[in-house]
Amino acid sequence: MSGERRENAAELKIGDEFLKAKCLMNCEVSLILEHKFEQLQQMSDDPRNQVSQILSRYQLTEFELCVLGNLCPETVEEAIAMVPSIKVHSYVSER
Amino acid sequence: MFFHIVLERNMQLHPPTYFGRNLRENLVAKLMKDVEGTCSGQHGFVVAITGIENIGKGLIRDGTGFVSFPVKYQCVVFRPFKGEILEAVVTMSGDMPNYTTSDGSVKIQKDSEVRLKIIGTRVDATEIFCIGTIKDDFLGVINDPASV
Repeated sequence: MSGERRENAAELKIGDEFLKAKCLMNCEVSLILEHKFEQLQQMSDDPRNQVSQILSRYQLTEFELCVLGNLCPETVEEAIAMVPSIKVHSYVSER
Repeated sequence: MFFHIVLERNMQLHPPTYFGRNLRENLVAKLMKDVEGTCSGQHGFVVAITGIENIGKGLIRDGTGFVSFPVKYQCVVFRPFKGEILEAVVTMSGDMPNYTTSDGSVKIQKDSEVRLKIIGTRVDATEIFCIGTIKDDFLGVINDPASV
């Protein structure tokens, strides 16, 4: 490891590999790690968690969330037929 | 400094446990388990694997029957350099009491943020240790948690 004795960031002596590499700012790393955390949570084997994760992004009540999770409607029409109360949420009419 | 680099590793899998439909997932899962959180003197700490660039053809090893796959993957590493200036959060001051200036105006304690210059690094099997200084222009405490 004698090469490390000659390293000095103040003189940009950090080795070819790192000089040419992509540097990440702390904020970028923070975003990457948050994204990874979300991915890991989604991949957990617990189906309740996975479904809740995705459906909780929308403004649904627990009851609506669970009915949708149980029935897994495939189209918007089917979803509205199964859970008519979601019609009142603005995001549905925006679509 | 954090870097986004491509590293390569030979992953050994033992068939038939891992072969089948989930071979790729198994390889990736094992890669993450083996590599994330480790540290090398050359590349620093592997913080997170962000993607798989390539998985080469598996090679059956003589004698053991294990199969070895060369895997190229992208990852975020943290590699400190001597002479680098960075900002860090104090996790503990060891056994020593908290640092305070003689007039009590500035304190360094757990959760304080400080800007320091790394003046030396040492590598051992599992970690990179750094020694730094705050005795230079523009270095020192950024944020005193007590005042927040």
